[in-house]
Amino acid sequence: MTYYQIPRNSLAWMLVSQVAVILPHVARLPVWVVLVVVGCVTWRTMIYQGRWAYPGRWVKVGFVITGLVGIPLGYKGRVYGLEPAVSLLVVAYVLKLLEMHQKRDAYVVILLGYFVAITEFLFYQTIPYTLYMIAVVTMITASLVGLNQTKSHVRPFKTLKLAAILLGQALPLMLVMFLLFPRISPLWSIPLQSQTAKTGITDSMSPGDIASLSKSDGLAFKATFEGEPPRFPQLYWRGLVFSKYKDGIWTRDDMRPSVWRHRQAVPGWVDNISPIGQRFDYSVMLEPTHQNWLFTLAASDIPDDRDVAMVREHSLVYIHRRGVSSKLNYALTSHLDYRLDVNPNAFILHRNTILPKEGNPESRILAERLFAESTNHKDYIRRILTLYNTDAFFYTLQPGALGEDEIDDFLFSSKRGFCEHYSSSFTFLMRAAGIPARVVVGYHGGEYNPNGNYVAVHQFDAHSWSEVWLENEGWVRVDPTMAVAPERIEQGIEAAVAEENSFLSDSPLSLLKYRQLLWLTEIRLQLDAVGHYWDTWVVGYTPAMQSAFLSDYLGDFDTKSLGAALLATFFSVLGLLAIVILMRRSNTPLSALDQAYLNFCQSLAKQGLARAVGEGPLDYARRIKAQRADLADAIDQVTMSYVNANYGGGAPGDIKEMKKAVRRFQLKTLL
Amino acid sequence: MSLRPLSRLFQNWLDKRMPPTNSVALNLRNVFILPTREGVYFSILIIFMMLAGINYQNSLVLALAFLLFSMLMISILHTYRNLSGLTLRSAGSKPAFAGDDAGFDVNLIRSGARTFEALQLGWHRHKITGADLIDDQQLIVNLYLPTQKRGLLNPGRLLIQSCYPVGLFRAWSWVDLDMKAVVYPRPIVAGPVPGATSNIGEGDALQRDGVDDFYGFRNYQHGDSLRHVAWKNYARSDELLLKEFAAYVDRRIWLDWEYLSGEPAEVRLGKLCFWIVQLASGPDEYGLRLPGLEIEPAKGLEHRNKLLLELAVFGSIDGQGAGSTS
Repeated sequence: MTYYQIPRNSLAWMLVSQVAVILPHVARLPVWVVLVVVGCVTWRTMIYQGRWAYPGRWVKVGFVITGLVGIPLGYKGRVYGLEPAVSLLVVAYVLKLLEMHQKRDAYVVILLGYFVAITEFLFYQTIPYTLYMIAVVTMITASLVGLNQTKSHVRPFKTLKLAAILLGQALPLMLVMFLLFPRISPLWSIPLQSQTAKTGITDSMSPGDIASLSKSDGLAFKATFEGEPPRFPQLYWRGLVFSKYKDGIWTRDDMRPSVWRHRQAVPGWVDNISPIGQRFDYSVMLEPTHQNWLFTLAASDIPDDRDVAMVREHSLVYIHRRGVSSKLNYALTSHLDYRLDVNPNAFILHRNTILPKEGNPESRILAERLFAESTNHKDYIRRILTLYNTDAFFYTLQPGALGEDEIDDFLFSSKRGFCEHYSSSFTFLMRAAGIPARVVVGYHGGEYNPNGNYVAVHQFDAHSWSEVWLENEGWVRVDPTMAVAPERIEQGIEAAVAEENSFLSDSPLSLLKYRQLLWLTEIRLQLDAVGHYWDTWVVGYTPAMQSAFLSDYLGDFDTKSLGAALLATFFSVLGLLAIVILMRRSNTPLSALDQAYLNFCQSLAKQGLARAVGEGPLDYARRIKAQRADLADAIDQVTMSYVNANYGGGAPGDIKEMKKAVRRFQLKTLL
Repeated sequence: MSLRPLSRLFQNWLDKRMPPTNSVALNLRNVFILPTREGVYFSILIIFMMLAGINYQNSLVLALAFLLFSMLMISILHTYRNLSGLTLRSAGSKPAFAGDDAGFDVNLIRSGARTFEALQLGWHRHKITGADLIDDQQLIVNLYLPTQKRGLLNPGRLLIQSCYPVGLFRAWSWVDLDMKAVVYPRPIVAGPVPGATSNIGEGDALQRDGVDDFYGFRNYQHGDSLRHVAWKNYARSDELLLKEFAAYVDRRIWLDWEYLSGEPAEVRLGKLCFWIVQLASGPDEYGLRLPGLEIEPAKGLEHRNKLLLELAVFGSIDGQGAGSTS
């Protein structure tokens, strides 16, 4: 084993790129892992500067143990998932730094670096992140180049430039592959999913859940419409349906009827939806939720495309089979008016009238009394909504805590609530009167961006409402929030809580807070639209997207013809690049002076008097003068002006003179 | 040189494709290129990235995998470019004693402005020497090859390779610059030069007017000292002769194969070699007698090398007694 020293040039880029590649991960890493990262990088930098020696065995063991114990500690015992896996990768990556003795080890560090770089895209895929990762990959490549350069040519920025040239030349090929490489569905289900609690709708709802979600300005999804989008109040983005109520928490029914994929596959007895009225065609670009339900404007057809991963449940809930681990784009056709379950299904109606045997006695009494006074179900509903509207109920983002009998507490004492308080208590009161009812969660509204004709829906648009089953009408949406705060439904959350000034009160820097500043909003919407195009055409370039895009150019195609197109285009582009790279005569262009002298030599070479390799201009002149005395003067003139210009300091006019001398010489040889 | 059949086939093919010549220009014809081990690992990494991109349906992961694959392809061109256009020319060799390193000088020449960085040169399974051709138009690389046997050493094909710029591909060529280095026998320590002690005066180069040794007679000339007059002869023949004495200033020494009879040929050559090296640093002229060969005594570096060359090639049929060492 010979002693090998990694070129400092390469090592410097290795350290810089390592810090750069880990930096965006830091927020997700357990604190112990961050300590290991800082420790290892600092130690290696000290070795680099010659201040410290390589760590002893026990120090390394200490780092390993800290990292390995730190991961489960940091993720509360969870060792299985995307974040722990990335943490492990990062630990291996930084520890290898201290084990780097051979050239081989340096390659391992560099390859690990590339891999850590891609994991960043599993979390974020925005344009700024992409640009940042391109810079990081260039730096990693610079360390790869530095490893293969001669040590005597240590100029870090020259190395970086070469790396950038390599990647720049690779770019056209990459685009060809990106467009034409056959996109296929996942080969197997992904075992490692991010399990960070993403802010978003969850599969349960208790008082205060949606109010706290409404503090986030995170993007939930964007819906791009073909043509005019529906009016703002109509934008009820349906997510989940909660039929089970227990201990103050609404969850999904444990006994849901089965799901199905295609409309054709829906059995007759269960074909429960009939759409009415205007249809809207749109596509939703859903941010990764790491959950499996989707958001739609009810009622939607099950998309009849290749993305069979999407299924519909009986209660009009759309489920993605794999779970949404990265941005998901799905196209839908929706009718905002529809009939759902007009033919009563006794089992489902029964499931939606169940209440806990005990608790909330006052609410039950209220329900009994109001129901007795009502002429019919609709009248009962109206009476309850009137109660919310008149009886000092207050719509607020800061509802405060509720006691054990949460419905009683809300209805009779606090009277302060966000949408979930209203939908929950309303549904309770319906069921207490024996009317089938359930809670629906999702989003309402969204910000329309005319630059991209899409509606951006944020977490603060989260909403919940109720659904009541009525004879001959089926399931009908009733939004009790409408009764207490109609501005929420007509204008959105910001207007609804304007009085208490609580909109995004925890995020003072959010641009969304400053919607009243028109110029700022304009810029934000422009940037947002660019981001949306990026999400649609680059991030959202899925198998379905690829076939839709390419069929415009290739007509009908299959994987085989796509493969052929890919190979043909790839090698044509590679051929062109080969011509550019291999035919380029030099790395550094010749100076005009050298070019003129070379022209001179060339015209002599035509006379059979080529300059020998390594022959200096003066020696050359002496030699050819001996053979061609007739040209002696001209040769001297060219040679002297070249030598003077090149070695004698040189003046601005030299080049002109030199060129003139060469031309005179060439003329003379022609005569 | 023991070659397995396959590599012999390869050698034969190489010999046909790139016959030995003292100047080789590298181009498509004689440059080979294949991924390095690191290049294979890099490809495996790309496959893993693509699997991740497909399974997570992540376009940007796929895009990065595609970018790295494209860079791998581009690096083929750059690595090839770092060898093609380079001219190698034999620039002589330095002799060595068997067991030492023989030196070979290879002239690397670039035409035009294309530069060559991180080149590696070396003989099969021997030390690799690095070289750059960036600032200069040409340079001479000194390569050394350990020797084992005397003779004319043919180093075989010279490997010139480069993994620049990313080390994922290796471009290389095996060039035969038709070089040979003389390998002298390994000197074997022997006693004093035989002639130097017992056979002094074998030669005839004398300095007259010395006092050491009787040399001959000459006629008395006026002014000569009477001390050296041969009075006995004068008494017999009436001729006044003078006894002449000579001193040996130079010695003419013969190194003879026959002095060492009874010893194996290689030992004889080793000892002769030892004496030549000894005598070369002394004042004496020396000659060499080998079976079928006699070189008159002389002095100087050229003479020494000539003698050593004879020892090196002694007994070989075509003057190429020893082959390459590998």
